[in-house]
Amino acid sequence: MTRGLWDRETVALLLIAAYAPMALTWLWYGGTGALGRLALALLVAGLWHLVFMLARAQPPSLAGAVAALAVAMLAPEDLGPLRLILGISFGTVMGELVFGGWGRNVVHPATVTLSFLGFGFPAFGWPDFVPPVFWAALPAALIGMATGILSGALMAGAALVAALAWANGALVPGLMPAATVVLVLLVADPVTSAATGLGRWLNGALYAALTLLFATRWEAVAPAQAAVAAALLAALAAPLLDETAIALWLARRRRRHGRP
Amino acid sequence: MPGLAATFAAAPGLTAGIAAAPQAARGAVELITEEAGIVPPAGPALRVVPLVEEGAQVAQGAPVLQLRDAPGVVFCAPMPARVAAIRLAPGRKLAEIVLFHDPGGDRHRHTPPAAADQGSGPAVRALIQAAGLWPSLRRRPFGGMPDAAERPAAIFVMAADTRPMAPDPLQALAGQDEALARGLRALTVLAQGPVYLVTPHGSTVPVPDVDGVQRLTAGPRHPQGLAGFRQHAACPATLDAPVWDLHAEDAAAFGALLDTGLVPRTRLVRVDGPALRESRLVHTQPGADLRGLAQGLARPGAHLVLAGSPLEGRAAHWLGPRDRQVSVLPRDPAPAPPHWFRAALTRSARPTPVIPTAALTQAFGAALPAAALVRALASGDDETAMRLGVLSLLEEDVALADYVLGGAAGLQGLLRGMLDRIAAEYAP
Repeated sequence: MTRGLWDRETVALLLIAAYAPMALTWLWYGGTGALGRLALALLVAGLWHLVFMLARAQPPSLAGAVAALAVAMLAPEDLGPLRLILGISFGTVMGELVFGGWGRNVVHPATVTLSFLGFGFPAFGWPDFVPPVFWAALPAALIGMATGILSGALMAGAALVAALAWANGALVPGLMPAATVVLVLLVADPVTSAATGLGRWLNGALYAALTLLFATRWEAVAPAQAAVAAALLAALAAPLLDETAIALWLARRRRRHGRP
Repeated sequence: MPGLAATFAAAPGLTAGIAAAPQAARGAVELITEEAGIVPPAGPALRVVPLVEEGAQVAQGAPVLQLRDAPGVVFCAPMPARVAAIRLAPGRKLAEIVLFHDPGGDRHRHTPPAAADQGSGPAVRALIQAAGLWPSLRRRPFGGMPDAAERPAAIFVMAADTRPMAPDPLQALAGQDEALARGLRALTVLAQGPVYLVTPHGSTVPVPDVDGVQRLTAGPRHPQGLAGFRQHAACPATLDAPVWDLHAEDAAAFGALLDTGLVPRTRLVRVDGPALRESRLVHTQPGADLRGLAQGLARPGAHLVLAGSPLEGRAAHWLGPRDRQVSVLPRDPAPAPPHWFRAALTRSARPTPVIPTAALTQAFGAALPAAALVRALASGDDETAMRLGVLSLLEEDVALADYVLGGAAGLQGLLRGMLDRIAAEYAP
C-alpha cells in the first residue's frame, strides 16, 4: 500500500521541528531554570499520557511535547514545582486527554494550563521575552506555514489587526513579543484553531483584537497574561467562526446553483 | 490580470509522489489479451439473465447478457470470443463472464436509428443500452450505473484526468473529433440540462459546435480532473437531480456507434506502476485480462495488480467497464500483527483523528471545507455532509485524502457507508 505521511504524529513532529528555533533560543537565554521547567513539564505531561494509555488505551502523542514547551515558556514565574505540576496535570487531562487525545480536543492543553495557573495563582509574575526569542518566533511561523501545519491566513488576520492598531497608534509597547509567541505556540495550533479559510482570518483577527483590548483595558496586566486570555477566548470562538464561514459559503453556493 | 487569477484558481490540488516506470515506446500499441472478463460496474449488484450458453461463439459487440429488471440494458462481448464461464452470484447476480479470444471472429453490427431519429431520446437511449455501452455511464449521488429511464440534470464528459499515471484522454480522442461531436449531440438528447465537456487546463481542444454543450476547464493537479470536483463546482448532484459522468472516449464511442452501428474494439489504457520495469500505453479491449496487459513488464517479486490508479484502484482480474488504468504495485508482506499488549494499549483511538492542515485542504482541491466534511464523515453526520456536498462525491474523490493522511482515517469506507445510509434513509 502506498500512502502519504500526513497522519497525526507527522504533524506533531513537524510542529516540534517548526518550534525548534524558538525553543532553542529560549533555552539559550533562559539557562538551567528554563531547562528545568521544560524537563518538569515534559515529565508530567508524559506521565499523564502514559496513564491514559494504560487506563484508556489511548496512544500517546508527540503533541504532548508541544504543549509542555508552551507551558514551560509561558507559565508564571517562580511558581514552584507543586503548583506547576498541578497546573500541567489539570491542563493535560481536562484540556486534551479526556476528549480522546490530541486531534479531538477543543482547547489547547497549554492554554488550559496557563489559564488555570493565571486564575489560580494571580500573585505570580508572568514571563517576559527577550528580543531574540521574539525574532526566533518568526522562523517558527515561517516553517509552520511553509509545511502547511500552521495557518497563514490566521497569522495574516492577526498581523492585519496589529498593523491597523500600529497605524492608529493603539499598539501597546512591549506587547509584541509575548503576543507573537502565544500566537505561534497556542493560537495557531492546527487542531484548536478555525479550520476554514475565512474562519482562520477571523480567528487570527479576533485573537489580536482581544489581546489589544485586554492589554489596554485590563489594569496591571502582563503582556503574556493578556495574550493567553485572548488565546483561550479565540480557541473557544473558533467553532463559531467556522460555522459562520461555512454558512456564508453555503449561502454563496445556494445563490450560484439554486441548491446547496 | 486574468492570467494570474487563472493560475491561482488552477493551482489547488496535489501531486501524489508515486514512482512511475519509464515508458518504452512513445506511442500506444494494440494489445488484445487472450482472455477477457465481463464484470459489473461498481455500485449495487445487478440481477442478470445470460443470453448465451457456456461454450458458445460470440462476435465482438454481440449481446451476452441482459439485466433482469431492465431487459433493454445489455452487456456485450468486448472481442470475438468463446464463452468460457458464466459465473453468477446467489440471486442471479452477475459475478463475471470469462471469454477466450477467437482470432478469426466477427463483429456484431447494431442497427443505428435513421438520421431523422438520431435526435430522439428514446431511440438513442435504446441503442446505447442495447450495444452494451450503458455501463460506461455513472450517476451521482451514490455511484453506479444509472437506471435505464433516468434523465440527469447534467452530464459531465471527462476529457481531463489528473489521477497519477492516467493516460491522456486527449490522446485517446485523437482523430475522433467527428465521433465525439456526434456522441455529445446524443448526450444532449439524454440530459435534461447541459452537457459539460471537461478539458485540461491550457488545452486548445476545440469544443464541438453542439447546442447545449459547454466547456469546463480542470486544473493540472489531482483531484481537479475528477468528475466529482467538477460537478461540485459546476452542477452539484442532489437526491432529486442526479448528475452523470463518463469518459470522453466513451462519448466518442457513442458517436461511432450511432454512425456505424459498431462498438469500438479498443480503448486507451495505461499500464504503469513502481513494480514495472517499463510502463506501457495500449489500445486494448474493455474487460482485458490485467495480467495479460502487464505480462513481461513486471520486476521480480510479489505484485499487486490494480484496476484503476494506485489511489483508488482495486485488486481485480479484469479491466472494469470504466477503467483506463492498470497499476502494478509491489506487494509488501503482510505486517506482523502487533503484540497483544501494544494492540490493547492503542486500539481504542482508531481511527486516529485527522489534523486539519494545508495538506488536507489541498487533498480536497480547496473546493470545500475539508475539515468539516471529514468530521461529518467520521461522526456519521449525514445532514451536515449533504449540506457540504457529499452527494457529488464518490470513493475516488476522497481517495487522495486517504492517501495523504496515510490511510489512517479510512475516508473511502466512511463515505461508502454514509452514501449507503443516505440512499436508504433519504433517497426518494
